[in-house]
Amino acid sequence: MFEEPFRWMEAISTRHSYVREKLFKGQPVIGVPYNEGALIIGFSPQPGKIFEIYDRIALGGLGHPADVERLRMTLLDMAHAEGFNRSSEDVTIGRLLQFGLAPALKQNFEEIQRAPYLIQMLLAEINREGSAEFFRVSYDGYWEKFKQGTVIAGDSKVSERIQKAIEGTDFMSLNLDKSIQSALRIWEEGRKKPKLEEDANSSATDNDQTEEEMEDIPADLKEAFDRWNLEAAVLSNNTGRKCLYRALSESEISALKLEMVQ
Amino acid sequence: MTENFERIHSSGDFFELLKRSGYNPQQVLSDIPENKALEIPQGTTVLAFHYKDGIIVAGDRRATAGNAIMYDRCDKVIPIDDYSLMAIAGVPATAFEMARVLSHNFEYYRRSQLRAMSTEGKVRALSRLLKDNVAMALQGVGGVSPLFAIYDKEQEKAFLYFYDMLGAEFQILTHVATGSGSPMIKGVLEHENLWGSSPLGERSEEEATSLSIRLLQTAAQFDSATGQARPEDKLYPIIAKITKDGYQFISDDEMETIYKSSMSRS
Repeated sequence: MFEEPFRWMEAISTRHSYVREKLFKGQPVIGVPYNEGALIIGFSPQPGKIFEIYDRIALGGLGHPADVERLRMTLLDMAHAEGFNRSSEDVTIGRLLQFGLAPALKQNFEEIQRAPYLIQMLLAEINREGSAEFFRVSYDGYWEKFKQGTVIAGDSKVSERIQKAIEGTDFMSLNLDKSIQSALRIWEEGRKKPKLEEDANSSATDNDQTEEEMEDIPADLKEAFDRWNLEAAVLSNNTGRKCLYRALSESEISALKLEMVQ
Repeated sequence: MTENFERIHSSGDFFELLKRSGYNPQQVLSDIPENKALEIPQGTTVLAFHYKDGIIVAGDRRATAGNAIMYDRCDKVIPIDDYSLMAIAGVPATAFEMARVLSHNFEYYRRSQLRAMSTEGKVRALSRLLKDNVAMALQGVGGVSPLFAIYDKEQEKAFLYFYDMLGAEFQILTHVATGSGSPMIKGVLEHENLWGSSPLGERSEEEATSLSIRLLQTAAQFDSATGQARPEDKLYPIIAKITKDGYQFISDDEMETIYKSSMSRS
């Protein structure tokens, strides 16, 4: 069935559409630096978006929870085996992606008889010089690196808006509180369609959300805090420990909610 | 690196991951000739006791092989994770390896299972490593007898364990010492606990640190395999505490002051 090149390309293209459609409702996870490290933050209806991978590496994921889990396990296994057999210094996102995950994801995606991974991942790392680096990994193994921070979101329009806002903010000069607040404001902005787009959207052929879908999603921060879970974690340079990861506690999130929406 | 890509579940067991990646912790050496010349460094003194805020763990810095001093800056107190410390007596190669396996085991479990391993689980993990190592210990090339100090955040309590070479674990409620220099100070510890200025469990961090330095100095006086402090070379015992805030080592600068005051009669 797939012997002819055209059939194969068509199958791949269908696969892209299928995965993008499945991921469309995936809520944004934002990764940005702050003056002492890196922050990963995101709202979601269900918990399970942000995880620790290794001493200096954190993961934010969206997509099918079982796929997020499987790739998280793969990363954990690779990182720990490498860190044990060599050194924790040899465990970097660059190596994990380039020589591990990315080729495997690509192979999986192109083996069209098998189910593709429904996933997007954001990885954050504090490198040996102490600065934050961010990586965005797509379901087909394509990955990009960002210094200023990045975002993953099922809706590419939302993702573009948030990415632009991140690049327009000097997160590295902000302390943790200010960085979280700016990231959440950007999250809120990302939800809002620009006026121009809204008008042009009557044709609605692009992949921005339909009115019906928008109703499920909190319109602003207050609603998001009320209805969904906020997950946030930092990789902090000033812990004095080898493990830099720390998830924000419930009390910190409640305090944040008080400060931002009440 | 991607051999685990298709695995779909995890028990959070790092030993299992190690085995899958080809590591063999239970390797037994066969046909080793009886070679008495093969001296393994294992003389030492490490001690630990409960004090007011948690547990203090201390060790000298010397590694020996027979009469030879191999190394004078050996760190025998090793952090395993944020809330646990291991102090080693025995064959350093095996002991350091065990500490590394254990450290990855706890972190791997915590990260994969999204919760910290229980205190009992951690205590047993070390026991299992020792048990797997029995053959090496019996062959005379891998015996380790560690101390393990851990703070349990849920119970808000610090726990101290002593292990024998076969992996038996003994919970210690007051004090413990191991290594070739330990017989010289066990009696002193007991005496201090029963009839000293106050029971060990009520002493302040400063008092506990000071006592540890004096005990190690005493052990070094009688045991050639235990190293004395050498302030002129900034060489001090290694001392760490474990409290509700996790482990913390006493820095060299602090040691300089504490050592000086500890060496005078007070």
